[in-house]
Amino acid sequence: MTSDATTAEPQPLLRTLAPLLRGLERQLRAWLDARRRFPLTMIQRAELEGLADDLRRQSEALDVDKPLLVIMLMGGTGVGKSTLLNALAGGPIAQASFTRPTTRDPVVYFHHSVKTDRLDPALRLCRLAQHDRESLAQKVIVDTPDLDSNDLANRDKLKALLPIADVVLYVGSQEKYHDQLGWELFKEQRRRRAFAFVLNKWDRCLQTGETGLRPDEDLLRDLKAEGFQDPVLFRTTAQLWLDASNDAPANGPPPRPGNLPEGEQFTLLRSWLELGLTRLEIEAVKARGVGQLLSQLAGVVDGVRPPDLSAEADKVKESWARVLADEAGVQADVLVGTLEPYQTEVEHHFSVEGHQRFRGLMAAYLKLTTRLRYAGSSLRDRIPLTGRILGGGKVETPVEWNLGAFVQDCARAAGERVLDQRTTALINRLLVEADQRGFPVQLLNDPTNAVGRLDWRERITRTVIDALAEVEQVCTHPTGLRRALRGTLTAMANILPEVALIATAAVLLWNFFMHGQTPEMFRMLLVVLIPLVVIIVIHLLILLLLPVRWPAIRSEFRRRLETRLVDELERVYLPIPGEIATALQDERKQVDALVADTKQVSDWLAERQQAARVAELYGT
Amino acid sequence: MDALDHRSAVGQLSDDLRWLEEHCRQQPELAPHAGTLRLASALTRNVVGPFLENQPPKPLHLAVVGGAGAGKSTVVNFLAGTIVAEANPQAGYTRHPTAFLPAGPAFQWPSFLGFLGPLQRISQEQPANLDEDVYQVKRIPPGKPGAPDPLTDFVIWDCPDMTTWASASYVSRLMEVAALADVVVYVASDERYNDEVPTQFLHLLIRAGKAVVVVLTKAREADAPALVEHFNNEVLGRLPKLPDGSMPAVPVIVFPQMTPQERNDPSGAGARFRVQLLNQILVQCENETAARVRTVTNAAKYLGSAGEGLLDVARRDLGELDLWKSTVHAGRVEFEERYRREFLSGEQFRRFDRYRDQMIDLLELPGAGRVLSSVLWVLRSPYRWTRDYVAGLIGRPDVLNLSEQTVLSAALTGWLDRLQAESLKRAGTHPLWKSIAHGFDAGLAAQARDRFQQEFRTFELKETDELERAGREMVGKLENKPALLHMLRGGKLALDLVVIGSIIYLTWVPSWYHLLLLPIGVSATHQGAELVVRGAAEATRSHVRHERETLVSTALTGPLAAWLADWPATGGSNIERLQQVLRRVPLAIQQLEERVTAKASKMQQSIQSPPVATAGLSEPRA
Repeated sequence: MTSDATTAEPQPLLRTLAPLLRGLERQLRAWLDARRRFPLTMIQRAELEGLADDLRRQSEALDVDKPLLVIMLMGGTGVGKSTLLNALAGGPIAQASFTRPTTRDPVVYFHHSVKTDRLDPALRLCRLAQHDRESLAQKVIVDTPDLDSNDLANRDKLKALLPIADVVLYVGSQEKYHDQLGWELFKEQRRRRAFAFVLNKWDRCLQTGETGLRPDEDLLRDLKAEGFQDPVLFRTTAQLWLDASNDAPANGPPPRPGNLPEGEQFTLLRSWLELGLTRLEIEAVKARGVGQLLSQLAGVVDGVRPPDLSAEADKVKESWARVLADEAGVQADVLVGTLEPYQTEVEHHFSVEGHQRFRGLMAAYLKLTTRLRYAGSSLRDRIPLTGRILGGGKVETPVEWNLGAFVQDCARAAGERVLDQRTTALINRLLVEADQRGFPVQLLNDPTNAVGRLDWRERITRTVIDALAEVEQVCTHPTGLRRALRGTLTAMANILPEVALIATAAVLLWNFFMHGQTPEMFRMLLVVLIPLVVIIVIHLLILLLLPVRWPAIRSEFRRRLETRLVDELERVYLPIPGEIATALQDERKQVDALVADTKQVSDWLAERQQAARVAELYGT
Repeated sequence: MDALDHRSAVGQLSDDLRWLEEHCRQQPELAPHAGTLRLASALTRNVVGPFLENQPPKPLHLAVVGGAGAGKSTVVNFLAGTIVAEANPQAGYTRHPTAFLPAGPAFQWPSFLGFLGPLQRISQEQPANLDEDVYQVKRIPPGKPGAPDPLTDFVIWDCPDMTTWASASYVSRLMEVAALADVVVYVASDERYNDEVPTQFLHLLIRAGKAVVVVLTKAREADAPALVEHFNNEVLGRLPKLPDGSMPAVPVIVFPQMTPQERNDPSGAGARFRVQLLNQILVQCENETAARVRTVTNAAKYLGSAGEGLLDVARRDLGELDLWKSTVHAGRVEFEERYRREFLSGEQFRRFDRYRDQMIDLLELPGAGRVLSSVLWVLRSPYRWTRDYVAGLIGRPDVLNLSEQTVLSAALTGWLDRLQAESLKRAGTHPLWKSIAHGFDAGLAAQARDRFQQEFRTFELKETDELERAGREMVGKLENKPALLHMLRGGKLALDLVVIGSIIYLTWVPSWYHLLLLPIGVSATHQGAELVVRGAAEATRSHVRHERETLVSTALTGPLAAWLADWPATGGSNIERLQQVLRRVPLAIQQLEERVTAKASKMQQSIQSPPVATAGLSEPRA
């Protein structure tokens, strides 16, 4: 590191990047916090939260004049991470011993010019060791606890620290370079950070057998398979260097130990750390780290994009319409069935309604006959206990004919017997249908259940009342030919009896006054009998031509009820798949926007990346 | 208990455990159990089986295990007394177990069925493929003539490691050999001794009751005592306790960093280390029969104590099956509830009225009395007409019931839909639900409907039968008891006559309007009789209703529910096998444990403890 580099203009690239990353983080958090139809799995959510944390951390770390490069030593217990750091520091700053695991608290090795509060919060809690080596001024070297000992807390500490690392120095020994735990952690992290490799205890690697690979060759082969064509690998024997510097006087450059094995590269490692990682490289590593973070973010977000379900939603709608029509048919049957015991009441009601347009003698006559005909229904209401003895009537008929209360009772009875259970069955049927059309059931679960919890009895009662009122309307206000017929009959009924009465009376009076005939008994009676005959004839005509009979009412009522029920069901259920598909479309758009923004930042970054040699730290 | 019996029991148990192991491997969250299961099945095959088949105790097996690069091959060389295994710096180089036979007179290589399970013996120097499940057998070259060879009765196994990332594919081979061993030499280096993965393996060995000797390698000689103490505290101090509650005694030997001379001449320059190690091993095996009996007894104990734990994985899956069963059952309850409410509650069983009328007819007088009955019938006519008219006025028609067929098919659809919806909702949580959802896609619902149709046919026959039977029984009760019948008829006649007589007597001399009382009187008696009959008929009717409910439950929903509940566990599915395994394994383990204990105690009595073998081993350096 040279002095002119430190005094040079602050690099605009990384500082410009910081607000961009912050913006992305805000957007990601907002998206994560938003309510969504399409659920994230717990793993996806955790991953995205981690990425958001990383974005924030990066944006904070980059928003300074001279970003710090965090180099982290990672490896199994006993491979010599602490020894390596001690050898680099030229003195015992980290505890190294044969007891395993040795390092329990991470050690942070950094330049005294770096204020502690510039370190990441996670690092401030570690053991801090300051130095005054200008060549390492912009770098923070962290010695971490192991990843494979019986002390599982160490592993957690390491995993908590790893997100801070820009460069991971993967330390292996002859025994452990191949270990599963370290390798898995490497594979998990390699897309996110730069990796360099150290094969420590190099002296133990040199006892080659006749067969088998030398550990460094073996490691290089594995790394190649992982995409690291030309990895940065240092073969070191840190213990020897540490021993030598312990023996040497405190000040001055560390001496070179005498008994170094062939191919030992500790000096290379040291000079790579001190001189190889120049300001240019640090910028590049940082930028590349951000680039990787962004591409990973884009990948993950892309993976949680909800599917486009509009085509499926249409198909589901079609099949649901069929199911709902069937359901409405059955419900109508059930409801009409519960009205069955009250057919006389209904007929009575309709007759009474129909008779209101008659006046005079006809009205009096009809009132009388109707009362006689339906004597039973009022009689029944006045006799207690009839329902129990004669059976059939679970529903108590209101004493006063009250359509609303009556229908409410019917709907309640129908609900108790049949309809309540049909609602859950219907929802299950709908879910199964949706699944067969390729619509994910999980998405439909909540909305359909919410619809199922609606007060269906209330709705059904209203539907029945409406349908009944409609039928009444139709019956009492016919149209077309029937209307003309009824008009004629009504007119006849309202006029003819009176005319007959007056005419008969007039004839009698005429005969009495003009001819002086005293009418005999029969003649006198004719005054009553002739209008009565006229009334009866008209009544018969009405009964024949304008019948108010239960079967006619019933079929009309059922038809209307079914139509209304279909409407009601469709109004509630049918929009659900469409709504979900639309909501998912919106969510897709949000995801697309997020991906596009991420891409934009990462493209911007890619255009400005400087030509520094850091590619070998990343592999492909 | 003949050999064949043993063999099939052992074979069955180890097959079941192997299958369970495979099952675990297929489910990522259960994969960690696979190793334990492999150890259990290998113990059954390699230790318990041969013992029950009266295989000779010789040779004893000595397995050298440890993490990659810990120095297993070096330890093997020291055991063999000469360089037989190549110490290689490539971690994870050894991927197959190699058996080293002693140089002395050849003994019979174990040849019983199922020995080492799927591992094949190969004769060539290198396996063609690293992933092949094989093992090699080599012979230790004869040493210097006259040099004592204390391990003539041992086969030394050089095992692969369990720590490298490639080891996942071959750790089962390690388990196979470790299970076989009578003594396990656990090699830990100064770097590895507190590593998690090897330590877990050590725990497993201790739980399986293996005699373990620990060799700590590569330490600086000066650090050795402190290292051993640290190891004792950190690792051995945390070993699982033995079944009797004591800590397992595990001897520790240090192989410090050696000079190449020492390393390359185990029986010469390195002999001081070798003697330590051999002594510890021979202490563990004073008598080969006793050593083998101990291995087998411990293995059986391990199987007995770990058996429940081994099956936990199976139980987890079967827990889902129980959930499915309860879902099916809840569906069945709902089905019956719907049948009861939608059909049965409104059903009047009109056909039943016929039998009621028959009963009333029965009360009329037969033969000559018929004339009297007719007279009374005529007298009652005005009352009857009035009554029927009034009843017609105030009676209500019944609620229109849905037909039985409609209700049943709707309820069945509801039931199946409920199951399908449930399986779809849970498809992501467990493979069982997924397979059920697939089953529905492949026509499970149609199959269930077919089944239901078949059952419905028998149900239909039965329900008509039931109704007719109940009606006939009611009438028959009266018909078949002439005494009772005559008494009732006589009683009714007497009552009629008494009423007529008392009316005439009380109104004497009767005028014409007094005689009007006669029809009213006889009508009242008849009405009373009819009410009694009606009551009896209603009681039978409600009984029939109740019977019908039971019939639906037993003839219709019961068989279908049973079939549906068992559906995931039929047709050779995993669940079926799991159920079998869960049933068979504890029994088999218990049986084997009993047999082993019986045989072991017999053998222990017959061992006349021979002179201690280590006595013959003096310092070979001399």
